[in-house]
Amino acid sequence: MLSERIVTDVLLAALSTGGDFAEIFMEDTYNTSISMIDGKVEQGVNGRDYGVGIRIYQGFRSVYAYTNNTSRENLMKVALEAAAALAGSRQVQSIVLNRMCVEKFNPVRLEPQRVGQKEKVEVMKRAHNAAANFHEQISQVAITYLDVDQSVFIANSEGLMVDDRRIRTRLGINAVASKGNEKQSAFRGPGRHMGFELYEQIDVEEIARDAAQSAVTMVNADYAPSGKYPVIIDNEFGGVIFHEACGHGLEATSVAKGASVFAGKLGQKVASEIVTAVDDGSIPNAWGSQNIDDEGFKTRRNVLIENGILKGYMIDRLNGRRMGMEPTGNSRRQSYKYAPTSRMTNTFICAGESTKEEIIANTEYALFARRMGGGSVNPATGEFNFAVAEGYIVRNGKIEKPVRGATLIGKGSDVLLKIDMVGSNLATGQGMCGSLSGSIPADVGQPTIRVTEMTVGGRKEAE
Amino acid sequence: MDVRQFKDKVFQAGREAGLEEMEIYAVSSKDLSIRVFQKEVDDYTLSVGQGVGFRARFAGKIGYAYAETLDEDSVYMLVEGAKANAQIIDSEDEIVFFAGAEDYPTVKAYNPELEQVTPEAKIEYAKELEKEAFAADERVSLVNWAAVGYREVEAYIANTLGLEQSFSRNGAYTYVSALVKENEQVKSGGRSRYSNSWADFNARELAKEAVGEAASLLNADTVKSGEYRVLLRYDVVRTFLATFASVFSAEAVQKGLSLLAGKLGEQIASPLVTLIDDPLLENGAASTPFDGEGVPTRTKDVIAAGELKTYLHNLKTAKKDGVESTGNASRASFKSTVGISPTNFYIKPGELGYEELVRELGSGLIIISVQGAHSGANPVSGDFSLGAYGYLVEDGKIARPVDQITIAGNFFQLLQDVEAIGSDLEFGGPGMGGNVGAPSLIVTKLAVAGN
Repeated sequence: MLSERIVTDVLLAALSTGGDFAEIFMEDTYNTSISMIDGKVEQGVNGRDYGVGIRIYQGFRSVYAYTNNTSRENLMKVALEAAAALAGSRQVQSIVLNRMCVEKFNPVRLEPQRVGQKEKVEVMKRAHNAAANFHEQISQVAITYLDVDQSVFIANSEGLMVDDRRIRTRLGINAVASKGNEKQSAFRGPGRHMGFELYEQIDVEEIARDAAQSAVTMVNADYAPSGKYPVIIDNEFGGVIFHEACGHGLEATSVAKGASVFAGKLGQKVASEIVTAVDDGSIPNAWGSQNIDDEGFKTRRNVLIENGILKGYMIDRLNGRRMGMEPTGNSRRQSYKYAPTSRMTNTFICAGESTKEEIIANTEYALFARRMGGGSVNPATGEFNFAVAEGYIVRNGKIEKPVRGATLIGKGSDVLLKIDMVGSNLATGQGMCGSLSGSIPADVGQPTIRVTEMTVGGRKEAE
Repeated sequence: MDVRQFKDKVFQAGREAGLEEMEIYAVSSKDLSIRVFQKEVDDYTLSVGQGVGFRARFAGKIGYAYAETLDEDSVYMLVEGAKANAQIIDSEDEIVFFAGAEDYPTVKAYNPELEQVTPEAKIEYAKELEKEAFAADERVSLVNWAAVGYREVEAYIANTLGLEQSFSRNGAYTYVSALVKENEQVKSGGRSRYSNSWADFNARELAKEAVGEAASLLNADTVKSGEYRVLLRYDVVRTFLATFASVFSAEAVQKGLSLLAGKLGEQIASPLVTLIDDPLLENGAASTPFDGEGVPTRTKDVIAAGELKTYLHNLKTAKKDGVESTGNASRASFKSTVGISPTNFYIKPGELGYEELVRELGSGLIIISVQGAHSGANPVSGDFSLGAYGYLVEDGKIARPVDQITIAGNFFQLLQDVEAIGSDLEFGGPGMGGNVGAPSLIVTKLAVAGN
């Protein structure tokens, strides 16, 4: 994308005031998004995001600057402006760039750029029809189609020069069910780090019907009882509990500054011994995978918790400096507009021994959260909250009735210790995770798990 | 190339490709953000950005495209992209382009003095924030945020019907958050402020408030589950208003996604509630003389003394309802299609100070923070169930801090249940859904889950 000559000159300019490390991140991204409501295409947008981010370190200090104008003249100007935020004399005199080749383990067969808008619309119509015809209570179906083709080029003053291409495809299905004045919606959003061949691999109709089923079940459901009682969280997107309640606290962004309940606890028991959890950005074609992270490190499998013992964090270059630890391939950013930092990729609790049926059959009374909504967490205290999108009451070992409007709150560190059953049915779900370096695709996942006690918020008194 | 030059090129290329009306919406921005950690500048980000959104009519339908570089490749990409997208549209919605108006209101939202505040002064300020936070209480274990930023934005809109307008706005923001530790307990407290007058940034005051709040939450415990009379602090009310703002959009109403459909002229809130959308507010974070379609903006009551007066319209929804646009067409960014959003959107303050509200509450809960509004609230049904914390109030006085609870209810019911309104109106700063402001409120009851 940029010539070696320009890269070297810009990096050296960035280091003119005493910086000890500089990096260039260049991006050229083509996006498509199409939205359909009630079977009619409402909007289609094609876009091109293009720009360069320049980053400089001096010890623990970090300066970041970005621009859309990638002429040599402007990049030099931006590098010098950024350098002006630091004060010191030059430490790095010369840079020798080495082009690095990365193994591309996320094969793409059908590049979305080569697929016509009409074919994309066909997939949307299939999803729409399946959901809309599912039940008479389905009052609206909204479908969104997305594809992103991101080419990146990363070079730094240690000589790294590497490029990568990330192609991601996703379909969003939102079904609304109505009964009288009441409405409930349900969302499914299957996505992968792959091209249009995604739609040969997933059953769009079945996923759409599942969304419709969920919305219909919830609109006919009573409100969830509030109080403290056991909660069974189903597999797949249920993993958002771990993502929010623990994952964010294991990111170096929080750990390095001591702003996490998990700081300083390596080797200590932080979870029930049946819990093992992993972050793995190297799973071929998974939604949160990439060949390299946004600092140019290879992604890999990182064990976070093993049999209840804290084993590792997710670490980026700058926080690695602060912590005296090696980066783990977790550095990510939404675009060139963000300095990268440690983020999750595909994060999940590993499979255990029990079957889902056993877990339910062995439970006297619990909330069964079949689908989780989103949530958030304060990493400093570990306090989290998230919404239950589809819930049921389990009584005497059987699913008794659907309930809606429940929220789960608690502390990640408490919940991890209270997991007393882990299923064998590990599955992942796709989400967009928002944090310091923007909104990025991330897989969450887990098997069905049981937590002995959680605070359930709802509109009804406890039963 | 320059945006005006670029526009001419795109319109020229578009005409050659058979496009009918065309419109360019361009945004250019300058940003600086600074974060201090342990007396050092930990993050310093500066940027100069631009982007162009393009929409055009082809065979009667509208297609969109955007680009961030104003080069020849982008001219081609915008024209071809918009043309391809126009050809897949099924929607029969009638989209009108606006030819421009004779008069536009005068709006002041750019303060040239603010631009003159040097980066050094901003760094000093951020350092002071951190220092003052540590000084405010010896139990402060960490100041995890001490940040300040500056942003200036110019929006430019032009179309082939002759519309051409531009407007600039600037503002600064600051955020401080501290952790207070006692025994093994950690509590956090934060404060943010947005303004385009540098004099409004008082590091000591802000740091003290943030730390004071964190310290006041130490030894918090849950409460018994049940229904409570509740005082929602201004920033919590703001979160509610921002979360449910879409119910006032005519687009949501027309699509059956708002329960306010058919309620114009009806009493939808307590008579105490007046909700205003004011794009002309001096130095407002969302002030603008024209909206995302170039239509002149105006101030209006959306709810007046509890009565629903109007929905928020753009040209498309206004045409459908046979009314005038309210000037609320929005472009969340140059990448976005035309939607609807409020501008400076606020609940009119009442007479009572915060202390008086606490006395007025008598016994109940004060909620000072809610979590999970993006997931635990459903704008379609109005239902919400959110993590929360605050204080328990007995005999008109704060008895103790409360955490690990959720509050649940329904936004439309909440509007009806407002019993008192404070005088402490405060705006939150620019966001995707406009600049929302609110005073603190007392509501009859919310369902609280605790023990």
